[in-house]
Amino acid sequence: MDNFAYIKKDIKRTDGELIVTGKAGYTFDLHLPGMLFAKILGSPYAHAKVKNIDVQDARRLEGVKAVVTGDDIGFRRFSFIDTPAYPADQTPLAIDKVRFVGEGVAAVAATSEEIASKALDLIKVEYEELPAVFDPEEAMKEGAPAVHDIMEPNTTTAWEDFGIPSTKSRPYKTINNISNKVNIENGDIQKGFEEADYIREDRFVIPSTAHMALEPHVAVADYQPTGKLEVWLSHMGYEHKRFWLAKLLDIPMSKVRVHKAYVGGAFGGKISLFAYEFIAAFLSSITSRPVKLTLTREEVFSVCPPARRMIIDLRTGVKKNGKITAQHVKIIDDVGAYRRSSPTALYLAHVFRNPIYDISNLKHEGCGVYTNKLFTTAKRGHGLQQMMFAVESQLDIICDELGIDKCEMRLKNFRRKGDSLPNGDKLRSYALPQCLEAAVEKIGWKEKYGSKPFKGLGIGTASMFSGAHNFPFASGAMIRLNHDGRVILYTGQTEFGIGVDTVMAQIVAEVLNCPIDYVIVNSGDSEVSPHDIGNWLSAGMFVSGEAVRRAASDLKNRMVKYATLGLEVPEKDLELEKGWILSRSDRSKRLSFSDISRYGIQMADGDPIIGRGFVKCVPEVYFWKGKYNKTASLSSGRGRFTEAYGLAAATAEVEVDPETGKVEVLQLVVADDCGTPINIKSVEGQVMSQAVMGLGDVLFEGIEFNNGVVMNSNLLDYLVPTAEDIPKIDSIIADSYEPNGPFGAKEVGETSRAAAISAIANAICNAVGERIFSLPMTSDKIRNAIAKKKGDRL
Amino acid sequence: MKQRLLLNVNGENRELFVSPNRILLDVLREDLGLTGVKGGCDSGECGACTVLMDGKPVRSCIVLAFEAEGKEIMTIEGLAKGSKLHPIQRAFIDHHAFQCGFCTPAMIMIAKAFLDNNPEPTEEDARRAIAGNICRCTGYDNVVDAIMTAGRDLKRAKDGNKNG
Repeated sequence: MDNFAYIKKDIKRTDGELIVTGKAGYTFDLHLPGMLFAKILGSPYAHAKVKNIDVQDARRLEGVKAVVTGDDIGFRRFSFIDTPAYPADQTPLAIDKVRFVGEGVAAVAATSEEIASKALDLIKVEYEELPAVFDPEEAMKEGAPAVHDIMEPNTTTAWEDFGIPSTKSRPYKTINNISNKVNIENGDIQKGFEEADYIREDRFVIPSTAHMALEPHVAVADYQPTGKLEVWLSHMGYEHKRFWLAKLLDIPMSKVRVHKAYVGGAFGGKISLFAYEFIAAFLSSITSRPVKLTLTREEVFSVCPPARRMIIDLRTGVKKNGKITAQHVKIIDDVGAYRRSSPTALYLAHVFRNPIYDISNLKHEGCGVYTNKLFTTAKRGHGLQQMMFAVESQLDIICDELGIDKCEMRLKNFRRKGDSLPNGDKLRSYALPQCLEAAVEKIGWKEKYGSKPFKGLGIGTASMFSGAHNFPFASGAMIRLNHDGRVILYTGQTEFGIGVDTVMAQIVAEVLNCPIDYVIVNSGDSEVSPHDIGNWLSAGMFVSGEAVRRAASDLKNRMVKYATLGLEVPEKDLELEKGWILSRSDRSKRLSFSDISRYGIQMADGDPIIGRGFVKCVPEVYFWKGKYNKTASLSSGRGRFTEAYGLAAATAEVEVDPETGKVEVLQLVVADDCGTPINIKSVEGQVMSQAVMGLGDVLFEGIEFNNGVVMNSNLLDYLVPTAEDIPKIDSIIADSYEPNGPFGAKEVGETSRAAAISAIANAICNAVGERIFSLPMTSDKIRNAIAKKKGDRL
Repeated sequence: MKQRLLLNVNGENRELFVSPNRILLDVLREDLGLTGVKGGCDSGECGACTVLMDGKPVRSCIVLAFEAEGKEIMTIEGLAKGSKLHPIQRAFIDHHAFQCGFCTPAMIMIAKAFLDNNPEPTEEDARRAIAGNICRCTGYDNVVDAIMTAGRDLKRAKDGNKNG
């Protein structure tokens, strides 16, 4: 299978020159003639009624073109999830009350940012402060302040708009601040725990961490007199954005064009619509001028949702030999003021990790709980790294207590290649055992384990979807042959650091066997490209990459058909080579791609010769006019989720200074089963990127709140890894092949962060000889753990 | 009250009329259209706005535009000679030293200032040089590799010139 020309190669980024010269156009850089600048006024209270907003003085300020409040925008609901069971609960600006510090209450568009800021100071808001609740377990108690009251949906839900069969929307009442629930059961946990020789129960706490994409969150909207909205966003896929912008503005979706823009990092945090994006569009629609809304770094930290904070209670039963007999998971997802993707996260926390350990008796329950804090969202492995930190920490505790080898224990409990999961997903490719063995060997586990005080080793594992069953469900791609024999690929994939233009060009060049610079990629433009799943849930390569491969194949077939006519040579005698179609038996008989284009125009009624390709994330899942098949239930974990799982195992070695509690990560090894690595350097880059983010998660990252205020909303107080924090990192790409992926490829990267987190965390606890049950593992916590260990010995 | 400001940017003299409180970053991006210079935090912490002032890296988001008067400012737009990339730019492409690319112009400018002063750096020196510039994508190793390669390329070119 390795006889590739462009696949599995170190192909440089085809748009590299744009990046290194500063010419790559980010939304942050965009300036349109006549552009206005917008700012949003945030609430100083975590929970308060908005009694009155006086905008008269702000409106009178010279240079101010529009001031809007929640009343001007009205009750336009949006969220990540919008179903009859979980209707969208957020509005772009607060209407009746504010639910977190920083929630927008008014917005201004002015001729400069400075004037817009001055105008905000002139807006007088009268609040009536309400009792607030910050602790999710307090929030669940009878009589706690209610973050949400009864919500009456005034429109159809997105779920109904997508055509998914469901009951009609109804008033939604939250009880005890519980936003949503999950309950997934496989086997019989009571029986499982009865079979166990040893049962362990622990609680793990994971805080929110920031995505900290370097480009500040920004939107440019240019509402046209024709009723069309042109927008440039910093995002991860346009389908969610244009769906919600159209719905909230009440204009046809085809009249929303999300333009291609370079995106300065996303990390899972930019798929859903942000309030500021709608506000920019709304202000543009009422001023008839382009509007740019750029958040400050402090605003990004304080009002843009960070990763989910979870409390995980974990109970696990094992046999003496280390075989897991039962596991009971209870999660509290402290969602903050709005639900967003909590129902998804709670289910993903189980189903992402489901392919790792074969646990016959398992119960996974959890709830999302509203609090008066900043709401939360997905970040690289939505729910996975929280869950795996708990599972892998506890496995290590069990191994230590029972004296079982940590690597053997995991190998014993892994699933096998070819296994079917309880929901019907199949592990057609599965190199997790090989990944773990490689990572363990590379770090020198056997020689090093337990050999030196305050040095420690740890293991982590992870798995992840390659695209999922949910909206936008599928990807399409088109390729058009040009007069000069070059081809233009149209794909909805978005460039935010993953090199999509390059890897998609590699796929096309491989199929057409033509030079890679024959392929021009037009990506991420909602008006030009077919529908696309977007760059989330690790769907980019497996779903959209396969759509591109099929489009290239379709184009090839069409070209070959004309070549047989043009050359009068049978199809089976033809092959493609370097931009030519030629006869194998008589190589002088040949037509260039350019000749084929001319043939289409002159001899085939002007056929432009366009190839099409499309792929559904999960082909088995469908719904149509009341009929449906295998659609997944987030709350019960039934139905099909994904077609392929990416997997990873990591090992880490750390040294802890017992005096200061400072950790030095000596080495980190991440072995990733991503199927065929289409672009080796790009795959290694993703693995490295995720591993380094995981390092930050363990050592220093965590959003801190005090009475609902984000306390570390700048880069002095919120630390992320710098070049000097990076240990020796080895990435190993497992030799695996996913039969349903393009050239054998599947998910890459999202697993690496979760695996790295568990590996480093376990290594630290191994080094100090005491368990730390929460992240991040700061020097303070480590010193306390060391002191506790000493105390235990005395 | 706007005042006259003379800036020398990428070898060109530019005459501007700006308020004395304007930040260099904003003047470069908004008044001169040099959007290759990025901004990430407005407080000198992320490094994305790094430009060279008389050959030294500065964070243009915490420099007043008037402080740059009489100095030679260099941004990413001034690095390539026409269509010919600078060896550092080439090395960044060859080593996959960027992903989203938002920190890249600043990383390249830091690398230039660093290599101008350290023609034979160690990897540790290179790491320290970029430690104030945040990259959330690459994990830095490829950036360090690119800087080391560019350093060797630049030295070879310089030695070649001497010998030739």
